[in-house]
Amino acid sequence: MRSVAVVGTGQTKHARRRDDVSQAELVREAADAALADADMCAEDIEAVLIGNMELFEGRGLPELWVGGGAYGTGKPVMKVATGGTSGTSTAIAAFHQVGSGLFDRVLAVGFEKHSEGHTQTGMALTDPFWDRAVASGALGNFALSVSQYVAAGHATEDQAALVAVKARRNAARNPHAHLQMPDLTVDEVLASKMLAHPLRMLDMCPQSDGAAAIIVASDAVAREHNPRPAWVKATATRHDQCYIGDLDRRLLSMRTLRDASAHAYTQAGITDPVRDLDVAEIYEPCTYAELAWYEALGFCEAGEAGRLVEKGVTSMTGALPVNPSGGVLSTNPVGASGVIRVAEAACQIHGRAGQRQVERADLALATGYGVYAWADVVVLGSEP
Amino acid sequence: MIRTESIHIPFTYAAGGTSSIFLAALRDEARILATPCPACDTVICPARSSCPACGGPTATPVDVGPAGTLVSWTELADGTTLALVRLDGADTSLVHRLAGGDGTWVAGQRLRARFGESRTGAITDIVGFESENGAGR
Amino acid sequence: MNDRVERLDVPILMDEAWHYASGEAMERFSTGLAARRIEALRCDGCGRRYLPPRPMCGNCRLRMTHWVAVDDTGTLEAWTVVHQPILDGRTGEERPSPYGMGLIRLDGADTTVNHFVQTGGPRRQGVTPPGPPLFIGQRVRAVWREELRGAMDDILHFEVVEP
Repeated sequence: MRSVAVVGTGQTKHARRRDDVSQAELVREAADAALADADMCAEDIEAVLIGNMELFEGRGLPELWVGGGAYGTGKPVMKVATGGTSGTSTAIAAFHQVGSGLFDRVLAVGFEKHSEGHTQTGMALTDPFWDRAVASGALGNFALSVSQYVAAGHATEDQAALVAVKARRNAARNPHAHLQMPDLTVDEVLASKMLAHPLRMLDMCPQSDGAAAIIVASDAVAREHNPRPAWVKATATRHDQCYIGDLDRRLLSMRTLRDASAHAYTQAGITDPVRDLDVAEIYEPCTYAELAWYEALGFCEAGEAGRLVEKGVTSMTGALPVNPSGGVLSTNPVGASGVIRVAEAACQIHGRAGQRQVERADLALATGYGVYAWADVVVLGSEP
Repeated sequence: MIRTESIHIPFTYAAGGTSSIFLAALRDEARILATPCPACDTVICPARSSCPACGGPTATPVDVGPAGTLVSWTELADGTTLALVRLDGADTSLVHRLAGGDGTWVAGQRLRARFGESRTGAITDIVGFESENGAGR
Repeated sequence: MNDRVERLDVPILMDEAWHYASGEAMERFSTGLAARRIEALRCDGCGRRYLPPRPMCGNCRLRMTHWVAVDDTGTLEAWTVVHQPILDGRTGEERPSPYGMGLIRLDGADTTVNHFVQTGGPRRQGVTPPGPPLFIGQRVRAVWREELRGAMDDILHFEVVEP
C-alpha cells in the first residue's frame, strides 16, 4: 500500500437540533468546509464515502439522500455503517481506497441527526427472539458495564467527574463543539440528574446533530493540498460477539480495543503510548468509558486510570492530552463522531487546531467505539 | 419459527432551508416552486438547495406549473396511480399521484395539480394531478 | 436568508410489522420457554455454555450441538436502575421508569442474560419501585408470566432471592 494522508478536515456547527438544514444540507456544510481546508474543488474528488447509523433517522439509503450533498453525483458512493465506529470505519475505508491506488482524492463524510428520530429506541431494536423486550439502548447497557467497573475498584465517581470536567472545559476552546460548559465543576457533575445508576447526566455524551468530513489524498498529491499532511501510520479494527451477555465484564477486559491498539502501535513503532503519542482523540461515550479505554489503550496499568486523570496526565498541559476537542462527551452526532476523532487528530498534525492546538503534534491517535465492544484505532503522523 | 414484531417509531425531519420555502409556498399559496441551477441552465422541481446534476448551489426559487405533462404512469395493486409529471417551466419530473378520470392515461397528456382544501406544508398538499380538462381522457 | 424563513418539519410515523425467522437453535430455545425450560448450547472446544443458544461458538468457530439444561436461578453480575424513560420501539409507547436491569449468569450457563430486575415491591405495569439496593453477586430468580408464549418475555423480570 502506498502512503496516504488526511489533507483537509471540515465540521459543521454541532447542536442538539439543526433544524435550519436538511440532512443533505448538513452534509454539504461539512463537505464544503473540508474542501476549503484542502484548497480543493468538488471536481477534484474521485469517490465519496458516507458514514451514518441506520434507523436513527428512519430513512432507508441515507447515502442516496445525502450523496448529492457530498458531491457524489457521477462518482462512486458507498455507505459505511458499523454502529458507533461508523465514522472511523468510513475514514479507514477511505484510507484503503487511496492506499490501494484506486483513487488519489477521496471525501469521507459522516453525519447524524439525532433530533429527527429516537436514538435509544433504534439501539434497542435488538434480537427479537432474545432481548428486544428488555433492551435499554446505550444508556442501560453502559450503566450495566460501568457497575462492574466501579465494583472492581477501577474508578470512583469523583474520578469520573474529573473526566466530565476535562472534556467540557476543553470543548470551550472548540468552536464546533455542541456542549459549551467552560466553568463546569466536579460538584456540578455529581449533582446532575441520575440517568441510570451510576451514570449521571453529565457522565454521558449528548445527542447531537452534525456532520464531519475529511479529505484523504495519496502521497502523489497530498502536499499539493496541505503543507503538513497527516499521514496514516496505522489502522486496526476488531469486532466481537454480538450479545452484551457474551462479553465478560467488557469495560474491564475490552479485548477488542486492547488487541486493535496493540496491533496499531506495532505498525506505527509505538512502544510507550503516553510517551510516544503527542495527542489522542478517543471515542468515549461516557466518563467511565474514557477511564476504561486508558487501560485498554495501555496508557496505564489496570485500575490506574482514575489516578492518571487526577494527576492531569491527559489534560491539555499533561504528557498526553486526550480529547482537546472535548470528545464525544461534548459532541456526539454518532455517524460523524468517528470522523470527528480522525479529523481532530489530523487537525492537530496540520497545526490548525486553533485554541485547542497541542504543542509539537507529530503523532496522534484516534479511536472509534461501537455497539458493545467494536473498536477502531488510527494512528496519524507528520511523516509518511 | 417465525416471529412478527411491530416497529412503531415517530420521526420528525427538518425540511431545511430550501425545502421549507417549497413546503410553505404549497401550504400558504398553493404555489409549486422550483430552483434554477445557473451552471446547468436547468430548473429543478421540487426546489432544493443544490443541483442534483452538478452539485452546485441553486438560485432563488421560481414558480412552475401548476399545469404540466404526464411523463409516465403505473397503476399500483391498491388502485392508486403513480406518475412522473413534468410541470411547465421545470426540467425534472415530480413523483405524484393521478386523480379522477376513468383510469385511462396517456404519456404526453396535459395535467393540472389539484390542491387540498386544508393544507399542512407537505407534498400531499397536492392531492394529485388530474387531466387539464378536469377529468380523465 | 434562512433567518427570515419558517423552518418546516415533516413528521412521519414508522409503523411496520417485520417477520423474523428464528433458526433451529433459537426455535428449540423459544419452544422450551413455553414449558419454563431454559436450554443452552455448549461448545465442545472451549466448554462455554451459550445463552442465547446459537449454531457456532464465537471463540472456537466450532458447530455446537450439545444442549445443556440451565436453571432459572442465577447470580447478578451487573446492575443498574434506569431513570431515563425510553420509547419502546415495539409499541411506540414510553416504558415506565425507573426500572431495574441486570446481567444475570444463570446457573448452568457461562454467558449472561440482560433482563429486568425487581428492585423493590411488586412490579406493576412494568414499573419497579425503589427498594433494597442491588449488588453484584446477589442471587436472583426468574419470575414467569402465567400464560407462557414461548418468548423471552415469558420471564417478566428477575427477583432477589432472600438468603
